[in-house]
Order: sequence, then C-alpha cells, then structure tokens
Amino acid sequence: MSDKAKIRITINGVVHEREAPPRMLLVDYIRDVVGLKGTRYGCDTSNCGSCTIVMDGRSAKSCTFLAVQADGREVTTIEGLAEGSALNPLQAAFQEAHALQCGFCTSGMVMSAHALLAHNPAPSVEEIREGIIGNLCRCTGYVPVIEAVQAAARRLDPKGGTP
Amino acid sequence: MSAAPRPPLVGTPVPRKEDPDILRGQARYTFDIELPDMLHVAVYRSPAAHARIRGVDLSKALALPGVVTGLTGAQVRRLGYVNPLSPFPFQSRDPFRRGNPTIKFFDHYCLAWDKVRFVGEPVAAVVATDRYIAEDALDLIEVELDPLPPVVDSAAALEPGSERLYEDWDDNVMLTFRVSGGDVDAAFKEADVIVRETIHSGRFTGTPIETRAVVADYDASVKTLSLWSTTQIGHAIGTLVENTIALPGLKVHVNFRRIGGGYGQKWAFYPEEILVPLLSILTNRPMKWVETRREHMTGTIHAREQTHHIEAAVRRDGTILGVKDRIVANIGAAYPTGGLASIVTTGMFVPGAYRIANYEGQVQGVVTNKTPYGAHRGFGKSEACFVIERMVDRIAANLDLDPVELRRRNFVPPDAFPYRSVTGPRYDSGRYEEALDKALGLLDVDHWRAAQREAAAEGRYLGIGTCLVIEPSSSTRMGSYNAGYYSVRMRMDPNGKVYVFPGGSDEGQGHATSISQLVGDELQVSFDDVMVVEGDSLACPYGSGSYSSRFSVVGTTAVTLAARALREKATQIASVMLRHPPGGLVFAGGQVSVEGRPAEAVSLSEIARVAYFYPFQLPEGMDPGLETLYHFRDPNIEFEADERGRVAMFSSFPYDAEAAVVEVEADTGLLKILKFVSVHDCGNMLNPLIVRGQHVGALAHGFGGALYEELPYSKEGQPMAATFKDYFLPTAMEMPEMVLEHIETPNPFTPGGFKGAGETGTVGPPAVLANAVEDALKPLGIAVRRLPLTPQYLWSLIQEAQGGR
Repeated sequence: MSDKAKIRITINGVVHEREAPPRMLLVDYIRDVVGLKGTRYGCDTSNCGSCTIVMDGRSAKSCTFLAVQADGREVTTIEGLAEGSALNPLQAAFQEAHALQCGFCTSGMVMSAHALLAHNPAPSVEEIREGIIGNLCRCTGYVPVIEAVQAAARRLDPKGGTP
Repeated sequence: MSAAPRPPLVGTPVPRKEDPDILRGQARYTFDIELPDMLHVAVYRSPAAHARIRGVDLSKALALPGVVTGLTGAQVRRLGYVNPLSPFPFQSRDPFRRGNPTIKFFDHYCLAWDKVRFVGEPVAAVVATDRYIAEDALDLIEVELDPLPPVVDSAAALEPGSERLYEDWDDNVMLTFRVSGGDVDAAFKEADVIVRETIHSGRFTGTPIETRAVVADYDASVKTLSLWSTTQIGHAIGTLVENTIALPGLKVHVNFRRIGGGYGQKWAFYPEEILVPLLSILTNRPMKWVETRREHMTGTIHAREQTHHIEAAVRRDGTILGVKDRIVANIGAAYPTGGLASIVTTGMFVPGAYRIANYEGQVQGVVTNKTPYGAHRGFGKSEACFVIERMVDRIAANLDLDPVELRRRNFVPPDAFPYRSVTGPRYDSGRYEEALDKALGLLDVDHWRAAQREAAAEGRYLGIGTCLVIEPSSSTRMGSYNAGYYSVRMRMDPNGKVYVFPGGSDEGQGHATSISQLVGDELQVSFDDVMVVEGDSLACPYGSGSYSSRFSVVGTTAVTLAARALREKATQIASVMLRHPPGGLVFAGGQVSVEGRPAEAVSLSEIARVAYFYPFQLPEGMDPGLETLYHFRDPNIEFEADERGRVAMFSSFPYDAEAAVVEVEADTGLLKILKFVSVHDCGNMLNPLIVRGQHVGALAHGFGGALYEELPYSKEGQPMAATFKDYFLPTAMEMPEMVLEHIETPNPFTPGGFKGAGETGTVGPPAVLANAVEDALKPLGIAVRRLPLTPQYLWSLIQEAQGGR
C-alpha cells in the first residue's frame, strides 16, 4: 500500500512526473501532488461534478479515476483556460451572466461547458442542460449558467450559436 | 479635471469583482489551506441512532503506520480545560425572558462520551500524515455500544412513556413557545365555518457543494490559535472557541474569508470547531479536517421537519377571523444551532400576508434520534408559508370560493403599512394584491384555465396554483449572537483607496461588489478602488455574522452611513485646504472643489495625505487619519417580547407572488411544471444582476424542497438518504420555464430602501406547487398535506382517491 508509482501526466501543457500511491485519486494528485487547487470536490459518489477536468479532449470527473489511470494522458484544468490574467470568452460569459455565486462548483461547471463547446459549438438549450447535468450547483439555479454558455457559443462562433 | 458626479453604480447590474479569481481557479477555500507539517483528521461517527457507549478502543488504529494520535470523548473530558458546547453562552438560562419560550439545556462535548443520540454523531478522532491513512484508521477503531430504543417520530417522542434522549429532562420537549394576539375564542365562536387540517413539512436541508472544513494551527510560542472554518458566524465561533477551550491566555484568530455556500447550514457551532483546534493544541501541529459528503448528510444540520395541527375560523364570505396552530417540530438531537429560533419564527409568521386579528400559536421543539435541526434558507418562514398558503386553499375548497379571491379578501392592504402583525412584527411595506395580479397576468391565467378544461376532457390533470410569500429578513434575538446590528470599519488610505472591513462575511452573495457600488457612489471613488476585506476576526470589527439576508438590509446601511461619515470628515479637511467653508464645497468625481470654481479643487488622495501626514494642519479637535468604525442598529426591531410573546424581531419584509401551472400524470404521479411566474419585491435593487441571481437560485432550492429533497429515516433511526445518490438536488434538467419580474416598494426604515433578496424564492415553491397539484386533482377530491410532492406520494393519493383501483 505504501508503494508508490511514478505517474506522468501532462497538465495544462506542462509535464508533471511525480510519485504517488497507486490508490490515490486523480483529483488528489492534481490538488495535492501537483498543487493545482482550482479543481474541487464536493461529494464521495461522483455526483457533484466539482472535480470535472478535460482529459484527452473529453470531460471527466477526476474523482472517478485513479491517478495511475491518467498516466501518459493529457489533462486540462480550470487553471489552463485563461491566457495570463485575461478570462477566456467562456469565463467572461460566466461573469457577465452572473453564472456563479459562491464559486465552489464553478471550476467543474466551466470545464463541462468548455468540453461541450469543443464538441458542439452551437448547442441548443436542451443540449446545454444535458452538457451540465453532471454538475450540481446550489447557488445559481442553472439558468444563468445556461445563458452564459449560449453567450459564449455565440461569441466563439458568431455564425453558429443558438437563438 | 472634471468634477462631474459619475453615473451611479447603485441600482445598476454591475458584474461582480469576485468572479475573475474564481473563474481562473485561483480562489482559495478552507479545504485548500496547506500549512507546513500539517496533519489530517478523520472522525469516527456513531453508526447507531441511540446507544450507551461502553468503550472506545483506539489501540489498533494508533498502531497503523502514519497514524500520529487519536482522541475519545472520555479523554476530552479528562483534559480538564474543555467545556461542553454551549448553545447560549452569552445568556442567562432564560435567554428570552418571561419563561416564553422555555428551553431545556444539555451538555454535549465535541466527542460523545456517555451516549450517542444520532447516526453521524462524532465519537472519536484519529490523526494521520495523510487523509487516506486517517480514513484507514477509522476502520480499526473499536467501539462498544449498548443499544437503546430509538426515538424517531415526534408524535412517539411526545408520548408519556417514551424513551428519553436526556435522562435529566422530564420529557423530550426541548422548547415550548406560545404567542397570541386578539381574542381567539371569540373569533372561533363567531365563525360560520371552522376548517381543520394537519399539514406536514418534510425534513430537507441546504447541502452547499462545499462541505464543511476546519483547519487549526496552534502556535504555542505565542499561545495563538489560528482557525479556518467554513462558517457564516466567524466572530461568534471565535468567542465560542474561547469559552469552550478554556486555556488562560489563549488568543483565537478566525479566518472565514471564502465560503462555498452556506444557506444556513454553516450557521451553527459544530463539534469539529472544537475538536480540530484541540488536536492542534495537543500535538502543536497544524490540523485539517474536511467533511465527506456522507458525514455532511448526517453530521451537519437538517431543517424544516414540522407538523402543524391548524384550525381556521372563517366567515362564509371567506374572511379569516382567527387561526390556532399547534406546531410540533422534530428537531433531532439537541445541538447549538439556530434551530430553536427557527421554530419560534414559524410560530410568529403563520399569519403570513393576511390581516388575521386573532391568532394563537403553540410551538414544541421535540428531540429525537435524528440529525440536529437548524437554520436553512427560509428559516422557519418556509414552513409557516407552506401551512398558511395551503390553508387558504383548503378554506377556499371548503367554502367553494376561488383561492385567489380568498387571498384578496384577507391580504394586508397597501395603506396599512407599516403593519403591526397580530404576533408583533412590523411589516415595513408591501403591495400584495398588485403583485399577485401581476403574476396572474404574466401567467395568462385565462389561457391556462381553458387549457385545463381541454385537458380534463381528455382525462388529463392540469392545475393552477398561487401563493403569496412573505420572507421577513434581518432577524434579531436579544442576547444572542443574532443581535440585529451590522458593524463596518472603513479607511481611506493615503492613496485615496477605500478599504472596507465588514463585520459579516460572504458565502457567495457578492458583498465585495455591492459594497464597492455603495462606497463608490458615496465617496465618488472608482469601483476598483474599493477594497473589501471580509472574514478575518482580527482585521474586521466584531460582527454578528451572515444570515437572514442581513447584509442587504443592515449591512448596506452600515456601509452607506460609514462612507457618509468619512465623506463628512474629508469635506472638513478639504475646507481647511481650500480655505473655504464646507457648505460651499462640491464632493464629486474623486475630488472636492469650490462650488462654481472647479479649478479650486483637491483630490481625495491629497485630502487623505493631509489626514495622515499633516496632523497638525487638521481643524481644531479633529483626530488624525481617515478611518471610521460604524455600527448600525435597525430601527424596526424590538428586543423584548410582551406577556403574550409578541415582538418585532425582523426588520424588513420582502415578498413574492408566485403562480404555477402543473400537470400531474395519474398513472405515475409524475408532476410537470408547465409554467412558473414570480413577481418579487425586495425593495430597491442594489444590483439587479445579483438580485436576479439570488432569486433564481433560491427558486431552484425551493423546487428541490417541494419536489425532490427529503431526508427519511428508518424505524431504527437510520438515515435513508446520506449521499447525492439518494438525496436529489435539482440539476439543470429540472429547472422549469420561469417568468420573473420585480416591483420595487422601498423599505422605509433604511436609507437605501433595500430588503432581503435571496430567500423568498426558497419559501414559495412548496406552497404554490402543492396548491397547483390540489387544483389539478380537484376532480378526485384530493388534499395535499405533506412534502415533498414526489411521484410516490402523488400516486398514492390518486390511488386512494380512486379506491385503490
């Protein structure tokens, strides 16, 4: 149990090669071994979605993976979206639509929306709802989040976007 | 240099300054705190609802490599300097005076030592070098328990022979409270009809996505305990920790800067807030505990569970002459929470939005072997609203009247404000009928009545519901830390930037943004030059905390008046600098100038530098510096109840007219919301973007409690919903189509005219949806008497009405 495995994960374009116990969850590797605290967790059962990241282009709940399962893979976390201090268009849309309050679920919510827009640049409202179904938010009531994702879609792809 | 006043920030939808850090993942919550040599705590919790503790053996757990130490309840008691967690440390044993309410007391330590009284109660703790090892060690703890009969149901707990939770009490009733006004007996004699109902509010709770966490770092060299806690009441927690860990000379510094949602659940004094500091003191190492979701669902407070035995005396025309309500709240095990205050509040607000002149409320808080009961967004008023709004519809059904007409007939009319309710509170302002009319217009009630008839012809069940929520906000209770004031310290620094240190704290409401709007307007500085420092017990003035929508009522007022005090002083200093009397000066655009001579001006930073660096140039008798400490007490508050329990303990009365159309599927009991309208009045809106966000979020919370969220227990007292796999929060899929509008009736008791904004939405949906369901199922003659409106419940009602066919 105390044996450690060498785990190499590319996170936000930077290669991290660290040792960690084989039973360590990916979310703890990201937060506690690499030190990127922006990925959160709020349940024990992979329901809340606060730990959502993008792994090899797809959204993933980082509490459902062991760190060793992410060995050799590419991960984007919330810290990887903004260019310097400037918010990216999706993040800016979240601010403008007041799509966050306490902010605890926000990292996961933004990463789910980011993955959704990467695969579907012009999602319908129904597709947005489905895209964030795995992210629980207790503050916003989701409506402003849906509006933010619509606004970001329009901004990222002026020809696309939903009405 | 222009001296034109800037366009006002207050009243505009300014995006929040809090957001960029959060959106980049840079914001730090309590569980993100890392300190050198930090250890990790895991808590062993009672698996039994009710049992006597025979022994707790940590030896195997302590032998596990990586485990540093452990603690049991018996060891805590032997330390000698640890007191029980006291709910009312600042009060006499009759804190509300006059023996009404009466309250029984208890002595719980941070770890149970003699008995366990609910599943989830902390029994022992282990400390290890990482959390994985600490959790492994929990499995090695051996606890010997002698089971006692569990007391689960409040009616059973009230029976004379019932097992008692606290052996030194003569029954299981922790609180009794009576409030009355008018002549109830006469009203019931005069009535044409008496309508009686038993209505039950389900147990549900706030479940912030951030679970609770405590980090403690004791520095023995300076006897200072630094504590980070996910609390809405950081100053009170500091005081409570000092009282409970009675080490002479102990200094306590509480940090509660960023909280991931609270909704009332973080408005309580929790055992871990003593346990984790104690472990840090005992080991002289920093200590972190992060609650798991399962721990949260059993060890963090629940709310709402109440049964009302209510009777209304009415005239045939629908006039409500009087109401009697006997309220039994199932409050779980006794705990230092706001739970008792919340059930007293229910008793005060059963009359709701209606001019009911004769009323008698009796409240009993009954202890059971469930998780303790406490504050939750809507604080006692949600239950009161559900009951009175259900009752109005039940009365209408009995008299064969339109429930909307019944509401109109009984509303407190606009010219009656400020309105003194039969139970004592002074409702500040309101236009209930206008709001309801507007809601019905937005709903398009004629269209839906036609749709309802068409559906009925096809054998489908459509219904329309209405309700009028009042959500008294900014509460006060004499002698408690819920003390009805707001404190703020404000400093303009030598660069002309304004630092604001509020006594309260933020759990997501956007205080920094709102404060920057208020201060920006008052002091004519830019939004970005207002720096808000919240949630630091040593940097900020002692304050009562963040709850009861207190910030938007008393907090904004304290900030405004503090800024005005600074402005007054700055003007006097400018008067000396400009050699011009203060009366002829203009305060605008970041400077002070002589009226009509804009070239004769000094900037705020120049004024501030004189205040700090030229103290001998200041006017006679003026203190150096540009800093003020301000405390605001709301004028619409009374502290002492009269002999019938009546008191004005809430300062403002936002309200919300809600209307909904639902369809109930008879074969499955499934409810679908077809349309939902809310017309909300929270007075003037400081930031419409934030108000809308608060309101939509509150509504989602209300839909949860109305339709999905429930904390059931087995007969043995085992919680049946302890994860997000069996406790269902609404997701994005469940949010219905909503039409939201505002009307603005200013609060006359505060300079900004603001009322609380984030709780009415949570209160309304249970009532309006239950009313709509009853309307839909009217052909079957069904009465809705409990929450939540799950498919199982509705299906069973339909089955019963159809004779179990």
